[in-house]
Parts: sequence; structure tokens; C-alpha cells
Amino acid sequence: MSREQYQVPTGSGSPTIGTGSFSAPTARDYTGDVGGVMYYMCGDCAVRVPLEKGAPIRCQKCGARVLYKERTKRMVQFEAR
Amino acid sequence: MPHKPPTKEELERRKIVGIRDETITDVSCSDFPGHYPGEDHSWDIDAFRRGFSVEFHQNDRFEASFSLIGCDASIANAFRRIMIADIPTLAIENVFINNNTSVIQDEVLAHRLGLIPFQGGHEGLHKFLKWWRKPTDEAQMNNSYYDFNTVSLKLEVQCEHNDKAAAGETDPTKLYHHAHVYARDIEFCPVGRQDRYFSGADAIAPVNPDILIAKLRPGQEISLSMHMHKGVGSDHAKFSPVATASYRLMPVIDITRPILGDDAEKFARCFPRGVIELEKVTKKEAGQKGSGYEGHAGELKAVVADPMRDTVSRECLRHDEFKDKVKLGRRRDHFIYLVESTGQWESDAIFIEAVAHLKKRALDLEKQVKNMVR
Ligand SMILES: [Zn+2]
Repeated sequence: MSREQYQVPTGSGSPTIGTGSFSAPTARDYTGDVGGVMYYMCGDCAVRVPLEKGAPIRCQKCGARVLYKERTKRMVQFEAR
Repeated sequence: MPHKPPTKEELERRKIVGIRDETITDVSCSDFPGHYPGEDHSWDIDAFRRGFSVEFHQNDRFEASFSLIGCDASIANAFRRIMIADIPTLAIENVFINNNTSVIQDEVLAHRLGLIPFQGGHEGLHKFLKWWRKPTDEAQMNNSYYDFNTVSLKLEVQCEHNDKAAAGETDPTKLYHHAHVYARDIEFCPVGRQDRYFSGADAIAPVNPDILIAKLRPGQEISLSMHMHKGVGSDHAKFSPVATASYRLMPVIDITRPILGDDAEKFARCFPRGVIELEKVTKKEAGQKGSGYEGHAGELKAVVADPMRDTVSRECLRHDEFKDKVKLGRRRDHFIYLVESTGQWESDAIFIEAVAHLKKRALDLEKQVKNMVR
């Protein structure tokens, strides 16, 4: 069972530090106000909840406080064994 | 004292494995040089040809039953093992999952997909398709897939509410579209020359279209593509062309003293149906002195009708009235095969392929031995 290696996601709006030719991949800057929106699934009503940094972890529709992470959008490869 | 050649009965007796109530006798064969003084048992192709025969009992697409008579257990077992582990088939090897929001986990789903048996045009499967070797260099992976070593499939299913469902409906398959994902939902995507070999009735498709792969609920989705490659059962059971390939030895039931009347009926019930039949004792038999039938004309006697159907349960040996009237055994050189195909090969073709495979291996070995002694 092989999963492709994890790569730090680089959102379009996130600024990168160090633009030199040989720079280690930098951690994503979460302080940026653009592209900081992450989507979650409500544990109660299954609605897609957009959350910004610092926002209370709560479903805007039903008020439930259990939110789930979405599945990766990337292709994952498995051996059928 | 000059050596007497063995009688026909003696030769028959040597072939029988004895089955007693709690022991098995004469397990090993004895027809090898030096075992019987004065007899030549060296292996001889002509003697083998004279004694060997093949007999088919059943030959269907998914199941074949046949007997090899007059060959050694080592050969019979080699054929069985080759059928299970060395005859190549095509199976799903890699699964590329774009989305899977069903309750079944990605790796379990991939494993389930791998085990689905597929069928297709025989010429394409056995002649056109070649092996795929995983490149040692991971970067070369994408350059290793060709139309002659990879078959591409995809599975795209989304579950939605069925607006036309009747009010109060509780059956998920009627309440939703695609609540069940079946093997028939898998789509074959031909590339290159594959169109020529796998089109129409010859298309790559699951042998059993009703295999349930996963269950979905509205909003859930499975979206994936798959690569099939050729492989052998010794690598993974999903590549085995047989659901099972097995053999058993021919049962022998020898009624040494007459079993008559109610005993005969009880005796017949000790065996599976059809093994023992009841016949009337004829006047001629009853008139014969020392036959054991004297004065029993018209009574029922037990006769062996079809020993092949016997499971050799030894039930008859548990009853004292039969204990010294019957001898059970198996023929050491009569192998009854049962080959169950998963559908990619014809069941009889699997055995023929196994014979060809053993022959090829023997020739390879001969070549190497010749090189060794050179
Ligand atoms: Zn909610």
C-alpha cells in the first residue's frame, strides 16, 4: 500500500518567503488573509462549512461543534493486494 | 528358485491403498526398480503409454472433472500446483483513487477490486498481452505502460436520491440511484491495438457482473481508474485461473462376502446415493456351492455400482455386521481431478496449459543440466 509522499500545499494566495534559487520548501503562511479559508464537514447536518483562521469551530447552519476534515483532492494510488 | 511373474490380481493389489477403520495401509507406491526381486520396474515410456489414459467426466466452461489413470502422484500433484500457481491471468493490479467518500476504505476497496475475475477475447488475453514488469526506477513508471501489457479500466459512480421513488419506500436500491456498486459498473477503456482484440463479445468485462463492490448513500461518490496486468497465482491468489483445482484418488469398494436382505439396505445407506445398488440374487448364483448365496434366491444383495461417487467416509466399517465383509481402499494411480475455472480460461484449457507449462519447464531444466555437465 503506497501513498504518494506528503507535500506541503501551496495555495495561490499564500506568499512565499525566500525566493532564492535553492530554498527549502517553506511552511505555509497562515497569517495571510487571502486563501485562509478551509472547508469542513458538519458532523451533524453534513453541510460544507467554510472556516477562517480564528473563527469559532461551529457549523453556521445548525450550530454543531463537531466538524470533520474533507478528503484530499489528490489522487491516491493503491496496489490491489 | 526361479521368479514367478506377478499375477494380474497381484498387480491390481499393489495399486490399492488400504483403508481400515482406523489406519491407512500401503501408502507409498512400490513399482520402482529393486523393490520386487526379479522384476524390472525401471521407467519406460512405452510401458507408461500402455498404462496411461485420460477420461473426462464433465467438461463445462466453469467446471471440468476428469481422471488421469496410470501416472505417479508426483506428476499429478505437479499439474495441480501449476494450475493453481503458474497459469497467467489478467487482474487489477493498481488502483488510482480520485475520490472515495463511501464507507469502505480505499485500501479495502482496492483489494476487493483486485479479486474480481475478468474475461475477454482469448487471443488477446493469451497471445497479445505480455508481462508488465515494474521498472526499478520509479521515474520510468509512466514509460512502462503499453497497450500490450496494461489494460485500463475506470469506475465512476455517484449516489443520488431517486425523486421517482414511492412515498414510504424503504429499499435503498429503489430510494437512491446507484446505492449498490456492482462489478458491471466497471468500464473498460481500450487503448491502442486493444480495440482489435477486445471488442464486442470479446471486451474485457467481469465474469460475474453481479459482484457487489460497495454500497453508497446519497452524496457519496467513488471515482477511480485501474490498471490490469498479467500475473501468476504464486505472486497473488487473484491471478490464479482456478477457484480450486484438486484431485482425489479413485475409491475402491470390495465386497468380499455377500451382504443380503435388510443388511444390504443398511449397507447402501452407509454410502452416498448411487454408490451401492441393490440387486436380486439370481437362481444361478443361489445354486452355486460356496458362493454364500445358497438358498437366498430372490433376496436383495448389495453390489458396487459407482465407487467414484463415494466420499470414503468409512461409515460401513463402524458396523460389526459389515466389518469382515467389505474392504475399502483407493487406487494409487487413478487421480480424479476437479478444476473450477474463474472464467478467464476454459476449464479444460487450464489443464492443457498446465501440461504445456510442465513440458516447457522440463525442457528448460534439460538445457541447464546439459550446460552444467559440459
Ligand atoms: Zn451543521
